Amino acid sequence: MTRNLTITKQMIAADLLRLRKKRGFIALVLTVVIAPLVIATGYNVIQHASDPAAHGPAGGLQYYGRLLSLLGVFMGPVAAILIGAEAGAGDLAAGVFRDNVLTGRSRTALFLARIPAALVVCLSVTALGFAAGLAATFGFAGGLPTPSASLILESVGWLTLANSVVCVIAIGLASLTGSRPGTITALIGWQLVLSPLLVQSDNLGSLRNGLLDGVMLFLKPGPASGAPTITMSVAVALAVLCAWLLALPTLGAWRTRTRDA
Amino acid sequence: MCDHVAAHTLVGMQSTHANQDHQAAAIETAALTKRFGDRAAVDGVSLVVPRGTAFGFLGHNGAGKTTFIRMLLGLTRASSGTANVLGLPVPAMRAQALARVGAIVEEPSFYPHLTGRENLRVAAAVRGPEARERIGGALRRVGLDKRAGDRVGTYSLGMRQRLGVARCLLSDPELLMLDEPMNGLDPGGMLDMRRMIRELVEEEGRTVLISSHLLGEVEKTCDVAAIIDRGHVIAQGSIDELVDDKAGELVIECDDAERALNLLAGDPAVRRLRSEHGAPRMSLTAREYAGELNSRLVGAGVVVTRLEPARRSLEERFLEMTTRLEVAA
Repeated sequence: MTRNLTITKQMIAADLLRLRKKRGFIALVLTVVIAPLVIATGYNVIQHASDPAAHGPAGGLQYYGRLLSLLGVFMGPVAAILIGAEAGAGDLAAGVFRDNVLTGRSRTALFLARIPAALVVCLSVTALGFAAGLAATFGFAGGLPTPSASLILESVGWLTLANSVVCVIAIGLASLTGSRPGTITALIGWQLVLSPLLVQSDNLGSLRNGLLDGVMLFLKPGPASGAPTITMSVAVALAVLCAWLLALPTLGAWRTRTRDA
Repeated sequence: MCDHVAAHTLVGMQSTHANQDHQAAAIETAALTKRFGDRAAVDGVSLVVPRGTAFGFLGHNGAGKTTFIRMLLGLTRASSGTANVLGLPVPAMRAQALARVGAIVEEPSFYPHLTGRENLRVAAAVRGPEARERIGGALRRVGLDKRAGDRVGTYSLGMRQRLGVARCLLSDPELLMLDEPMNGLDPGGMLDMRRMIRELVEEEGRTVLISSHLLGEVEKTCDVAAIIDRGHVIAQGSIDELVDDKAGELVIECDDAERALNLLAGDPAVRRLRSEHGAPRMSLTAREYAGELNSRLVGAGVVVTRLEPARRSLEERFLEMTTRLEVAA
């Protein structure tokens, strides 16, 4: 039992090592999250500086709402997709999966070890983005109201949930398909194009409750940011979340067990 | 047809011999077969790899070598037949068997952005806590300790092959299976690999199975070999047995080749007589006549300094066997 725990810890540490040492990739992921934040904040700061009467301060509560959307609905999930795809199919792409299989180690264990390592990287990147955004929220607030401590805590929980779920889904899909580019294209297309369109489509009615975006918008704390409001019970939201969390990772684990190495 | 029979007789003979050493077998297969649709990539292979030897598994590209190894490692399922690795049936007890096996299939793959040492750390993590302690020793063993801090993306193919062997050694294996380990290596790299394999066998008592189409290298590296052609094992035995053609020629080294040829011509015991590079070569109806013919030559005043079987290279034997089968087919 202790031995298995030690091996599991070692495998997670090894997966974390291979992810964090991929410096170009980490730089890309950080850019995806930080660059839009810097550009949007900088634009608002310049606008406010050039015409304070027409443009309010760049920070404050309103800015904070947009920050959460950026980190929890748009660029945060994009980063989570990139990280999940790398974690799910990186060993296959490098040809190392076969060597891991040759050790006789359980393939399910090989699949499961990918998840914590990817989450550590994903949440670290999210945390960096959130810290930078939070600093801007307070630093450029001027006289505007700022988020309370409880709202910040809720936000941390929500961002952790939103990006973790997307990251785990990406790991599952990448493990299922064995393709990083395929996974990234499909999930970014879904996350940034198809899913927002479907969430805004009133014709779908309660079917929108089944969309991950719909659930995350329902659970999103803080001020409204212009996104459509979807109403559902917390139980339904949790059930949908669980379904998303189970479906693709289960398929990914199955494919990892059955894949011809 | 006759050639087929001869080949199978040799296989049968070696199998019987090997069966006496059943307890020591590192690998033992019986009628192992893998079919892809109608095509048999490996067809009824019965093979015994004795422990503590370097075993060469020879064949042309596409002969079935890699498919055979993949079945032994449980990477693909056999269509029929049985296989034991270190006495354990695979795939039934695959995990237990593979815990004592190190293998490189096709070519060793690594994360190019990690250093050699980091790649071994990743590999050791899957193998267990003891494997991590063997990283330094394994790197020294393959002569990569000085380059262990460099990214694998900067390694030559030879270095990656050696790092692959180091990765195999992390589990302190009793058996190593190396698929085409000499592929793409320069002469220096081949020499290093050959030395390393010999040391693994002679100094550490491990068994090494090498699949290769580089026959010269196998001849220099291995003690025992099997030849596979179009999915069939057509011969197996020690390298000496494989290169020694029992029905083959005897070469005579003497002071007067022309006189020796004249004396031997027309002798009923001599089936075939010819001269090559100035030395008479003869095929006899039976080997027992060799001494008698030697006495005749000496009695006639010919000074015979050497009379021995004409030794051919493994490559010549391999080509001869596979070509015969092609003609027969």
